[in-house]
Amino acid sequence: MVDEGQNYTTFSSRGLLDMVGDLNDKALEASRMKDFIGVLGGRFLNWAQRKSLFPLHLGIKCCALEMAAAGAPRFDAESFGVVFRSSPRQCDVLLINGPISKKFADPVVRLWEQMPEPKWCIAMGECAISGGPYFQSYNILEGVDTVIPVDVYIPGCPPRPEALIDGFGKLREKIIRIGAVPSEETEVRGAPIIVADD
Amino acid sequence: MGNEVNAKQILSAAEEIVSDVADFGDAVNAEVRYHTSGRRKNAYVYIEVTASQWRELALWLKKSKKVDYCSMITGIHWPENADATWQVVAHLLRTGVTNPAVVNKRVHETKVDIEGISGNEVPLEFEISMTIPETREPSVPSVADIWVGADWNEKETWDLVGIDFDGHVGMRRVLLPHDSPTGYHPLQKQHKLRYHDFNEMYDDAQGFGRKPEDSGRVK
Amino acid sequence: MAEMWISMGPQHPMTHGLWTLKVKIDGETVVDTEPDLGYIHRGVEKICEARDFTQITPYADRLCYASANTWSHAYIYAAEDLLEVEVPERAEYIRMVAVELQRIASHLMWLGAYCPDVGNLTGMVWCLREREMMMDLLQELGGSRMHYNFPRIGGVKRDLPIGFALRCRAKLKLFLDRIQEYEAILDESTIFLVRTQGVGYAKAEEMINHGVSGPNVRAAGHNYDVRWAHPYSIYDELDWEPSVERPSIKGSDCYDRYRVRVEEMRQSALMVLDGLDKMPGGADTHYQSGDPAILGKAPARAAEGQTGFHHFEDSRGESMFYLAGGGDERGKHPYRVSIRSPMFITIPYASKCMIGYKIADIPAIMGSFDPCIGETDR
Repeated sequence: MVDEGQNYTTFSSRGLLDMVGDLNDKALEASRMKDFIGVLGGRFLNWAQRKSLFPLHLGIKCCALEMAAAGAPRFDAESFGVVFRSSPRQCDVLLINGPISKKFADPVVRLWEQMPEPKWCIAMGECAISGGPYFQSYNILEGVDTVIPVDVYIPGCPPRPEALIDGFGKLREKIIRIGAVPSEETEVRGAPIIVADD
Repeated sequence: MGNEVNAKQILSAAEEIVSDVADFGDAVNAEVRYHTSGRRKNAYVYIEVTASQWRELALWLKKSKKVDYCSMITGIHWPENADATWQVVAHLLRTGVTNPAVVNKRVHETKVDIEGISGNEVPLEFEISMTIPETREPSVPSVADIWVGADWNEKETWDLVGIDFDGHVGMRRVLLPHDSPTGYHPLQKQHKLRYHDFNEMYDDAQGFGRKPEDSGRVK
Repeated sequence: MAEMWISMGPQHPMTHGLWTLKVKIDGETVVDTEPDLGYIHRGVEKICEARDFTQITPYADRLCYASANTWSHAYIYAAEDLLEVEVPERAEYIRMVAVELQRIASHLMWLGAYCPDVGNLTGMVWCLREREMMMDLLQELGGSRMHYNFPRIGGVKRDLPIGFALRCRAKLKLFLDRIQEYEAILDESTIFLVRTQGVGYAKAEEMINHGVSGPNVRAAGHNYDVRWAHPYSIYDELDWEPSVERPSIKGSDCYDRYRVRVEEMRQSALMVLDGLDKMPGGADTHYQSGDPAILGKAPARAAEGQTGFHHFEDSRGESMFYLAGGGDERGKHPYRVSIRSPMFITIPYASKCMIGYKIADIPAIMGSFDPCIGETDR
């Protein structure tokens, strides 16, 4: 907010910037450069991003211990570029590793929406895929894909850390082929890839 | 060698308690029961009490019998039984834990001389059961001020089973979401599990694993 | 100065599980706390009312996922009390080996999560490396890395694998040397000592009144342990001592609780080595699954009116299962399964312990009580 007592001119540089941006946009669209840059940039970003996926430090239940073991020296997820971050604003991947209760459904959606695009979700373990052994429970949702869109499912109860690292590998393949679909177009997305024996 | 409390010590302590409880009157029944813990037959004290006498019994157990630890207070709903629809079961323990002794301004940790303990120092298990006839609002007196460990147990019992505790300060939902409907207590028997009536022999929806001789069979 | 509530919300790297700790702070000092649990409440007690007795063991495993064997054995002892089953002695020894190895793995997971809480990332990777050793042994015994479904009503599902005794002894001897490495990086580190000593005082009698038990109470100066006080299994035949720490006059602090668990790891390793020597039939014989030497006969039904309960020394305190029989008309399901979780009662007490300290002490105090939210929320 510009104050009267300050020494700025009241000329708004913001408006000038917007005008120049719009003109630029129309010029690029007219010359088809925008599509070219979009495709090239998008593909380049996918290529760069797929091997450096930052999941969120979210530990729900037992699969969280296998996630921690995947970060341990024996399986070493960090050598695959997987570095856990504590804040959802800095993450690419939301790794759901446990059953989602009715109380936690709202925080999960909030975490998902706090993550900036492009973002992906991995459902790890039976509880996140379909409710798991608690499918009959009065308090557990039947799978996290009832509230957020899931890209990769990793079955197992709990899946071994090698399976988790393989799940990240499948996500890498998905990224390089499909990329991340922005949230307005999620209904266009195809069937999710299930990690099983290939 | 690993020492442990002798079965005889436990039995004599249990019998002592049972004979003392007889002084309470008709509302309280006590007996010595045994349970098999793998390969043993250790004794424990089982007391049946009415809800109105529960606080008096609890205070007496704590003050004169040194029962210092409340393990669990839980509730069961028996809808077919009209005289005893609601049952509250309290499990208490006498542990014998005291603050370590301070001698000459130095703290000495306590290593219990297991063969030497007797009387009120023998660790013992208690199971106390009280029933309430059919009512819409079952309630028993709270013992959260006697043993603070009972506080969250009572919250959970109210939250899941629906039995209220008189005199409990700060009763609230602890396991279910805070905005659960009032009066929703899932462990009551009229609430059923999801898919509770699914009694197919095989639980695969498409039926790939079924054999023809099993058609029409239930689990 | 205005006070405000902040929420160490469900997603937090240092809360050791999924729960919210609302903290009221006045500047940097904690004035009040309020724990908020229930984010992974699965309704296990209700689900178990529709399961057979053998089908409940995997649910008991998944209650406290860091310490699965102690929970499934706690359930099995209660089920054996309900169904009145005799257990052969060799099975008790095998169960003891499984439970104590799991206790070591659970304490290693605790230490591996506690070290980064106080700032020591090296401790985390070292403890997780040792935990992999224990997971290998438990995988040989039980068949999977976590959630083994190992005990059966009346015994165990299978005997010690061939060669297990040799590998177990070698790994435990290596582990006993490695414990000295932890002491080297932690006990001689000024930062660790400053962050854990003098913080989070708790006294024994107050803890017992609040329902806290296990290593937390043994850190406060009294060696109460369910394994000798309400005895079960074959602990009287082994050479062991409950580890107890000498606290200060104000009570036990976080450092005492850390020392108790390290000593317990050592005691558990020695118990397993001793048990392998004293096993009836020898640790190298291998009976087939279902042999009466390792599995007794067990009825599958419990009538209405039968009850069973069992107090068990879990890695975090005293846990208990209470089962009431008479579930469905055939008696194959329990009517009520009631689970006592030590952490459900310890977390409110630990939250009270934090009052008066600084925000930076919150992870140190909370971590030293070893919370595991799986068993808390059931």
